Order: sequence, then structure tokens, then C-alpha cells
Amino acid sequence: MDSERISRRNFARIAGGIAAAGLPVHGAAAPTADEVIKQIREGLGGEWPANGIDGLKAGSPDTPIKGIATTAMATVEVLRQAVKAGTNMVISYEPTFFGSRDTVAPPPAPGQQQAGGRGGFGSALNTDDPVYKAKKEFIDKNNIVIFRLRDHWRTKDGQMVNGLADALGWSARRVPGDLAIYEVPSSTLADTVASVKKKLNLRAGLRAVGDPKTKVSRVMLCPGAIAIDVMWNNYEKVDLLLAGEIREWECSPYAVDVVSAGQKRGLVTVGRVVSEDPGMRACAAWLKTVVKNIPVQFIPAGDPYWRAS
Amino acid sequence: MTAREVVELIKKNVGVQWREGGRDTFKIGDPETTVTGIATTFMSTFDMLKRAQAEKLNFIITHEDTWWNDPDNTKSITDNPVYKAKLDFIQKNGLVLWRFHDHQHGRVPDQSVVAELRLAAIDDPKAATSSGAPYVIPETTLGELAAKIQKKTGARAMRVTGDPKMKVTRVRVGPGYAFPRMTPDTEVIIGGEAQEADGGFDYTSYARDAAALGIPKGQIMLGHQVSEEPGMEEFTNWLRGFVTGVPIKWIPAGEPWWS
Repeated sequence: MDSERISRRNFARIAGGIAAAGLPVHGAAAPTADEVIKQIREGLGGEWPANGIDGLKAGSPDTPIKGIATTAMATVEVLRQAVKAGTNMVISYEPTFFGSRDTVAPPPAPGQQQAGGRGGFGSALNTDDPVYKAKKEFIDKNNIVIFRLRDHWRTKDGQMVNGLADALGWSARRVPGDLAIYEVPSSTLADTVASVKKKLNLRAGLRAVGDPKTKVSRVMLCPGAIAIDVMWNNYEKVDLLLAGEIREWECSPYAVDVVSAGQKRGLVTVGRVVSEDPGMRACAAWLKTVVKNIPVQFIPAGDPYWRAS
Repeated sequence: MTAREVVELIKKNVGVQWREGGRDTFKIGDPETTVTGIATTFMSTFDMLKRAQAEKLNFIITHEDTWWNDPDNTKSITDNPVYKAKLDFIQKNGLVLWRFHDHQHGRVPDQSVVAELRLAAIDDPKAATSSGAPYVIPETTLGELAAKIQKKTGARAMRVTGDPKMKVTRVRVGPGYAFPRMTPDTEVIIGGEAQEADGGFDYTSYARDAAALGIPKGQIMLGHQVSEEPGMEEFTNWLRGFVTGVPIKWIPAGEPWWS
């Protein structure tokens, strides 16, 4: 390679290689958020429409990036850990500001009802909201850049499923020809649930339907949320369907009725965010191959629920 | 009395204008069937139907869907063995299924909420209106309130988010998927289920970040069935006030979850 024609990006890669070898690097300017985003876009390909879900949610594109953290959700706890770890760019699979579009309305005029309330029953998040304000202040004070990466990551080579399988110790057990079904060592549903709880570090987030004594060896993994048709089309192929979340008045009664009809199967939900964390660990591993000159780490968002005692 | 006549009595007594075209319709069976008994439930699961049939109750009034999707659309599942087995059981036993959902929630107060409030030891129908100020309870903590509800419901899979030590006096309660609004003057919302993230408003993420920031906002998720089943007991008692001459029994579907 002609050294004079080394692009800034390639130079950064070489510099990153030196850093990885433990040698100090001088003079290599940290890439900006915008440059990192460009690398991610190029790496993943596809269309990136301006009105898509994926994109910059907080921070300036000019920010020099010291380190990147990936997570299922940029919660306040995750952001604090990211700052402590010396990173200032967070790649989040889920929204940061409590709704799919990450939008915040202006506060209502005195005496007026909040306009533009989000969702059928939702609260209208506005810029005066104390939780929004405090989170935004923390982000601004620490110059954190938040980039949402869902649509372009979940379509990449089944990485969300692979990541979850890996966290459960099943990644080598995928049934050939199927993207989400695994043949795991036979165990009861009760024991499988206990193991999943431990491996995913769950508190109250795990819920199960089915006879605890049911033998489980074929498992389908569905990180994120699934609709009933996924169960209609796949449940008969497996002993256990493990999902992030479902609609309770559709999928859980189906799982109940399947048992009443004499089939021995189980449904386990672990929570949407917990089911997506491992896929974002896989995202960190992939990012290291694309953004070579910046340290990348994974910070799990974890289980948001606890149980009353 | 036929099933249709029972429904006509409900329409006459419901107290709100009847709207056609919603969820509250006959789902299966002949409306002209003579009613041997009425079974009410949160959800007409296969197991619940078997229990109703064993008690010779042939008219089922269910709050939720029968065919595992809100509009009870069966087009794509006609070959599904579970669908076939459940349908066969319903037809063989001449059961009639009718849904009572939209008008139950449309009543003021909503029977589901009146009964759900009692789970939080709030025995006051005035608290069951969704507009206006949050309901004020004697000062407690989120941990204590959740423990009280846990004891009262015996729920196996209740999920709480927020700081257990946060003080609570102002709460809102919503049934099923209708989580109440987390308004600035509300500290704790109590509901059935909500999409965890990427929805219209992500209650769980909000309560979680609030706890991390030391802002008193909490959420108690009872589970859809736990939140709405008592409302069908309430409905049953109401139904007995104007439907006489046939046995009427509340047959809970039961919490689907263990954990």
C-alpha cells in the first residue's frame, strides 16, 4: 500500500492495531461520532432513511469518540457505567427517551392539557418532565452520543438469535437449516427455566407457561417481542419457545390451551430488554471488526423487574 | 331463556349507549340456544370451557378473546389441531360464547377497575375514573404497597419496577393492557400488562430510570389476567341483579404464569 494514499480510516485502523499491541499512539485524532456512524452504515449496508428508527438520538455528530458501549437499552444505569468506563458513545437497540420515536413534546401552556400524548393510553412526555430532564442533563454534561441501532442490526445474519443462544450456552446446538431452533440437552421445563434465570441474571422478569415436568430438548429462541402468528407457525416444532415478550391476552392463553389439548410444551418469556442484551454483546464483537481504532464494550441493561416479598 | 335474550338484558341494563361493530359479539354457537346456565370469565380458555361444561353451564360470557387474537380471527388457523380440538369441544357440547369487553370498560365506573382497585385495598368506585387527579392512599412505600397487593392477589408472576423505598400516596389504576397515565402528579401506576419498550410510552423504562435518578415513580404490573379477572366477578354479581331463573357462576381462567 502506498503510504501517501493511506486514508484517514485506514490510518486509524493501523493506529488501533498499534494500540491493541500495547504501544502508545500519538497524534491520531479520535474519530467523530459522525465518522463512526458512517463506518457502521457502510459495515451493515442497506438503506438508511432519515425517518427510520435507527439514528442519532442524543449528542453532537462532531463529538470525538473515545470509546463505544453497546446495550439493549441506554438506561441511566447503563449511561453511568459507560461514562465510568471512559466511553462516550452508546449504541442502543431500544429507545432512550421512553418511546419508539424518542420524541419529546414541548410543555403545555399554563392551564392547558398536554398536547400530543403518545400512545393510546400513554403519558405525554414533555421537556419539563423530571425524569427526561435529569437523564438529558446527564447525557449533555458527559457529552454522550447515543445512536439507536435496531432495524439494521436485527436483520444481520441472525445475530440477535445467535447472541441469545450464546448467552444460554446453546450456540453450537442450532438445528441445521433453521435460524432459531436449537437441540439442547434434555431437561425438564423447571430445570431449563432455573438455568435460563441464572444465565440471563433474571430477577422477576422470567415467566413461564406449561407443566414444569415437561421434557425440553427442542427450543426456539425469539429475542424481542413476538406476535401470535409466530406461535401458530412454530410452536408445534419445539418443546419450548423462549421469547422476550408477548401479548399476554393472545400468546399466553394459546400456550395454556396447547397444554389443555394434550400437547407437552412450554412458553417462557424473559423480558424484551433482557432477551436483546446478548444480541448487543454480539454487536460489540462485530463493531470491533468495523471500528478498529476505538475500544468497544458491551454493557447489559438487565432485568427491570423485581418481585414483591 | 335464550343466549340472545340474556344479551338483550345486558344491553338494556348496561347504562351506556350500545355500539355495534366492536368486540362485544357472539363468537361461536347459536344465540337462540336455551341457556342452562351462564359461566362468566376473564378468558374462555379450553380448560375454563371444560370446567363450565362439567357444571352444565352452556352460555359463556368472556371478557377476552377465545381464539388467541383480539379480533378472534380464525382464517389462518383452521388446520391448527388446538383450534380444531377446542372448536370440536365447543360444538359437541353446544356451548355459546359471547364477549363482554368494550362496554364493560365503557361503563362508569368500569367494573374491571372497581374490582382491581380492591386488590390495592382501595374500596372506592370514585377512584375508578380514568380522568382527574390520581387517587390518594395513606402514605406507604412502593415495596409495602407491592407486598400488600402480592398477598391479596397471590399472583405468581407480578412484576414491579421502581425504588422499593420510594414513598407513595398518589396512584392510578388501569385494567389489562390499558396502563394508566403516568402524569406528573402520579407516583405509582398499577396495571395489567404493557409493552416493555419501543411503544407509545415505555412505562417500564421510565420507572426504571426514575429510580436510578432518585425520582419517585413506580410501576406495578399485575399481569393481564390478575388485573381483570376480579372485574368478571363484579360483572357476575351485577348480572344476577337482572338475569334470574338460570344459574350464573364466575369461573376464573386462572393466572397462566408461574415463575
